[in-house]
Amino acid sequence: MTDTFYINWTTQLRKGLLELAILNSLGSGPLYGYELVRRLGDVDSLVITEGTVYPILSRLKNERYIESYIEESTEGPPRKYYRLTPRGREELQRMNDHWQQLHGALVTLRKEKKR
Amino acid sequence: MIDMTPEASTRLERYLERMRAALRGSRSVEPAEIEQNVREHVEIALDGIPAPVGAERLGEVLEQLGPPERWLVDDDRPWWRRMLQRVSSGPEDWRLTYVAFGVFALGVLTLPIGIGVFFLACAFLLSRAAADLVAERGETLGARRWLVLPAIWLVLVLVSMGALISMIVPAMAIGIGNGDLYSLTGTQEASPGSLERVRVEVGFLAMSAGTWWVILAAIFAAVMKPFRTLFLPVTQRLSRKHAAILALVGVILASLGAVLLFVVR
Repeated sequence: MTDTFYINWTTQLRKGLLELAILNSLGSGPLYGYELVRRLGDVDSLVITEGTVYPILSRLKNERYIESYIEESTEGPPRKYYRLTPRGREELQRMNDHWQQLHGALVTLRKEKKR
Repeated sequence: MIDMTPEASTRLERYLERMRAALRGSRSVEPAEIEQNVREHVEIALDGIPAPVGAERLGEVLEQLGPPERWLVDDDRPWWRRMLQRVSSGPEDWRLTYVAFGVFALGVLTLPIGIGVFFLACAFLLSRAAADLVAERGETLGARRWLVLPAIWLVLVLVSMGALISMIVPAMAIGIGNGDLYSLTGTQEASPGSLERVRVEVGFLAMSAGTWWVILAAIFAAVMKPFRTLFLPVTQRLSRKHAAILALVGVILASLGAVLLFVVR
C-alpha cells in the first residue's frame, strides 16, 4: 500500500464518518459549533481541518436532521446551538446500525483470514 | 466583536472572501450560515486574548480551520469545480498542468492554419486555472511554472505589443498617406528615401508613439487591478510604478520626435 493510496483512503473514510460523528455528538445533547469542533478534535485523526465541520452542519440542517437556535452566553457573544430533530434521531439510528453491521462484517473477515 | 489589528482584520476578511468563493455555487449548504459560524468560531477561539488580537494569533486559528477550498465534499461542489478537480487530481496531481501545456503546444503548432489562436486562448484559460488552483492550495508552482507560464506569457506579450503599437500604425498611415506630414514640415520637395524624409518620418513616428504611450499609461493605471488579475502570476509585481515608467518613456520619445520634426532642420 503506497502512502498516497493510504492517505486518499483515510481521507475518504474520514469524510464519510464525520457526518456520523457529528450526529452522534449531537445525540447526547445540543452543542454550539466551536464546542462541537473541539469535541470532534479530541478524537484522534477524525478532524484534520476544523472548518470542514461547518459545511456538514449546514447540509445536515438543510436535510432537517438537525436544527439551530441562538442562546445567550455568559462568556461572550450569543452562541448558535445545534440539536438533533426527531428525523435526525431516526437517521442516526439507521446510520449507527449500518456502521455496526459494516464493522461486524470487517471483524468477521479479519477472523477468517487468521484461520 | 473581537478587537483586532488592521493586519489581522484584513487577513480575516481575505480568508472569508476565499471561503465565500469556495462555497459559491454549492448545492446543499448555506454560505451565509457557514460564514456566521466561522466568525463565531474565531471570536470564541480568540476570547480572552489581550486586545488587539494580532495577525499571528488569528493565523493560528485560521490554520486550524484549514483551507476553505477543501471543506466541501465532491458532491457539494458546483459542476465546474468538480470537473477542474477531476482534471487536476491525478496520481501526480499535475494533470491540469499537463493539459494546459498540451493545448498550448497544439496552439503553437496549428497557429499557421489559424485554428491555433483558439487553442492558445484555451491554453491561456487552462494555465490560469492551474495557477489559481495551486495558489488556492497555498502551494507554489515550482517546476510546474515551465508548463503553465508559457501560455500566460505569450498572451501577455501579444496583448501588450498590440496595445503599444495599435494607435501608431493608423497614425503613421494617415500622416504619411495624406502627405499632411510633409506639408506641415515643409518637406514636400524632398525625394522619397532622402535624409530629410527619414528625419520627418522618424520624428513623426517617435512623436505619435510617445503621445500614445502617455495615453496608454493613463489607461493602464486606471485598469491596473483587473489587468494584473488577468495575467497572474506573471503580473504579480506589476504596479502603478510601471505605468509611470511607460508614461516617462512616452514623454521622452514624444519630445525627441518633436525636436526631430520642428527643431532639427
